[in-house]
Amino acid sequence: MTLLLIASLFLPLFPLSAVFNAALTRTQNPAVRYVLLLVWPQLGVALLQLAAHDVPPYFVPWALMTSGLYALRLLTVRDMGRWAGFLATSGLALAWALAASGADIADLHLFAFWFSLPSAVMALLAHALDRRFGAAYAGLHGGLIGPLPRLSGVLAVTALAAVATPPFPGFFGLLRVLHALDWTGAVAGLAIWLVWGWAATKLLQGFIFGVDRPAPGADIGRASTLAFTGVFGLFVAAGLYLTGGGL
Amino acid sequence: MDKLMILLPATPLLAALLVALRPGLARRSVARLSVGFSVLTLLLAAASLALYLAEGRPQWMGFGAGWGSLYLDPLTSVMSLMVAGISLVVHVYSVRYMAEEPGYARFYVLLDLMAMAILLMVAAGDLVTLLVAWHLIGVLLYFLLGHDSARPAAQRYAFWTFLTYRLGDLPLVLAAVLLYESYGTVALPTLFERIAAAPDAHTIAGLPLLGVVALLVALAAFARSAQFPLHTWLPYTMEGPTPVSALMHAGIVNAGGFIINRFAPVFVHAGGVLHLVFAVGLVTALLGSILMLTQNDIKKSLGYSTMGQMGFMFVEIGVGAFSLAIYHLIAHGLFKGTLFLGAGSVIGNARKHDGVPHDDVYTFVVERKPLASRLPWVVAAVITVAVPFIVLGASRWLMGGNSVGEQGAIILLFFGWVTGAQLLFATYRLRVDSPWRVMAMIILSLVIVVAGYTLIEHGFDLFLYPDRMLSERIYAAASIPLATFEVLVTILTAAIVVGWLATYYAAANGRERRGDTPPLRLALYSLISREFYVADVYAWFTQAVLGLSRRLNVWSRWV
Repeated sequence: MTLLLIASLFLPLFPLSAVFNAALTRTQNPAVRYVLLLVWPQLGVALLQLAAHDVPPYFVPWALMTSGLYALRLLTVRDMGRWAGFLATSGLALAWALAASGADIADLHLFAFWFSLPSAVMALLAHALDRRFGAAYAGLHGGLIGPLPRLSGVLAVTALAAVATPPFPGFFGLLRVLHALDWTGAVAGLAIWLVWGWAATKLLQGFIFGVDRPAPGADIGRASTLAFTGVFGLFVAAGLYLTGGGL
Repeated sequence: MDKLMILLPATPLLAALLVALRPGLARRSVARLSVGFSVLTLLLAAASLALYLAEGRPQWMGFGAGWGSLYLDPLTSVMSLMVAGISLVVHVYSVRYMAEEPGYARFYVLLDLMAMAILLMVAAGDLVTLLVAWHLIGVLLYFLLGHDSARPAAQRYAFWTFLTYRLGDLPLVLAAVLLYESYGTVALPTLFERIAAAPDAHTIAGLPLLGVVALLVALAAFARSAQFPLHTWLPYTMEGPTPVSALMHAGIVNAGGFIINRFAPVFVHAGGVLHLVFAVGLVTALLGSILMLTQNDIKKSLGYSTMGQMGFMFVEIGVGAFSLAIYHLIAHGLFKGTLFLGAGSVIGNARKHDGVPHDDVYTFVVERKPLASRLPWVVAAVITVAVPFIVLGASRWLMGGNSVGEQGAIILLFFGWVTGAQLLFATYRLRVDSPWRVMAMIILSLVIVVAGYTLIEHGFDLFLYPDRMLSERIYAAASIPLATFEVLVTILTAAIVVGWLATYYAAANGRERRGDTPPLRLALYSLISREFYVADVYAWFTQAVLGLSRRLNVWSRWV
């Protein structure tokens, strides 16, 4: 049981999720943030494996509550770094529903990866915006699609991947979770997914859309664009291959 | 045929990739490339329909994994041709319409991706592929409607559309999960076979599973096809570029009718849900038509007209006339697309000519034309009440009593009756030189239209539902007890006859109303002008959720 509680620090459950989000907020280096977002949840899954213990049923409503809470909070968060952290918390909490249904450890590792990679990429993009505008803050400098079309495109794709839009693997992961839940849990899971989509459009409207103004910095290069596109291309391909459609 | 099935969605995807991967491409080249691939897509769609007609049996094609399959059946082949046709028209129209807009290449990439997503949706052979395509359409539409990134209104309404679509996505996902859990497959043909073999084998929360699934699919269809109260986004999609409005109103909004047809084997076991679909469709048709009549903006008026038409399409589904709904959505798609693309010309013409007819005295004295007249109102009223009824009834009788289910046919007859009577009433109100001749010509036109419509619809039904048993069972599921039905028919007939007589009497003998407007009428007017406050309720709810989110962030700022 102690191991399960420690695992809930890494596959964050409220209020232990404070540790994960505080660690993200205090970390300024984008590379460290990136690694933290990718590695932290994998440690949680490893702890679950170590625990070798059935996840008690009350973890499922706890996970749904955590996920719902952070999804709701996401709606009015304007700092992209925090946004990425909250979304990762909301998504990763759902891993407990899979774990409670007796899912394979490999599946749990993959699930954690599907939900942490887009958030990790978003942390890198937040740094890119921070360098240009002094802060990655939605609404601070809207209309980026005109002066910074490549960065805007990558940002849009990342946001879509982060909120489990098909064909990104998060969607198939979500289908697995819905399959694992009873119908009331599934309805709650779908409501959370709806709020993620809402939050993503709010984020995009704060950064990408709006009156076209000159940007203080240059757009990202072609090589960076191709690298980001390649990462998401591989991400989609891996998701399609490894999840087999989720159901 | 396998290759054709893959090529259909792959061709527009290839066009999108080619444009996206060559950012320096000149606008002209972008348009040529994209339009060229659209022509190719249309040819492929036509070829797949021809091949289906030649082979005459549905074909399912998987790629080894549990999903990612395609299914070619009559519904797929017809819908693919329609989608590819409308997509081509919109592509060609956009070449010049979008020429001055920023993001020309991005627009074509999105348009091609949208064509791919819709074609994938209509050809999806399993639940997961269907879900992926269904969701992609909503996401792509969000970016297409918000193409003009600097206009706050475009962003606002793109967001409304996205959120409504996502709301409608949820029940479809749930339906897919329930079906998979219960029947153990995502492949549509296998799933439908297993449903037919054991329709009552599963329940959920004590309710029959197929009833719940049908309800969920219907809810998804309501959101996608702007059924009341999920309609608020549709009239405002005019804030997007005109070609997108045309694509939206001619194609995308029809997805609700498609998805219910796709799940027809489920609806066979859910008569109650079909009754709900009928009621929702009826309310939507009435409200959409009322709101259409009160608009003073042509595009918004067309938007509400689409809402009314979608309502009518759901009424057809509700009475079991599934194939008629598909015929309706194709016909509506073609004429509504034309109207949207021609709306700009209408506005231009209206600026030059007001279109107000001259009064009788002016026509007689200045233009030296004979005085216009009308038919006697009693004669016109009798013609109006009797002729459409006789024409529609006769056409049904000629097609044979079993061409459609009895109750469904009678309900549709009522709609035809009211529509035909409206046409004759409009003719009566015209003041013309020779009213008898005009009325005779209109009646002749009505006969030709009704006979043609009935023939095509009958042929279409045989094509879409070659399994006649399935078609008959859908009608049977949509039926209500005979005694109730007969009472309703009697009341409705009396209401229509008395209503038309009163309308004619008022038109012939009525005087202009004087004095203050009654309070009830004013209240009704404000209700309609505020579009029944539905959007206001949504706005209030949205603000409440955002307020809660802000408070949560303040309270839990340390966690």
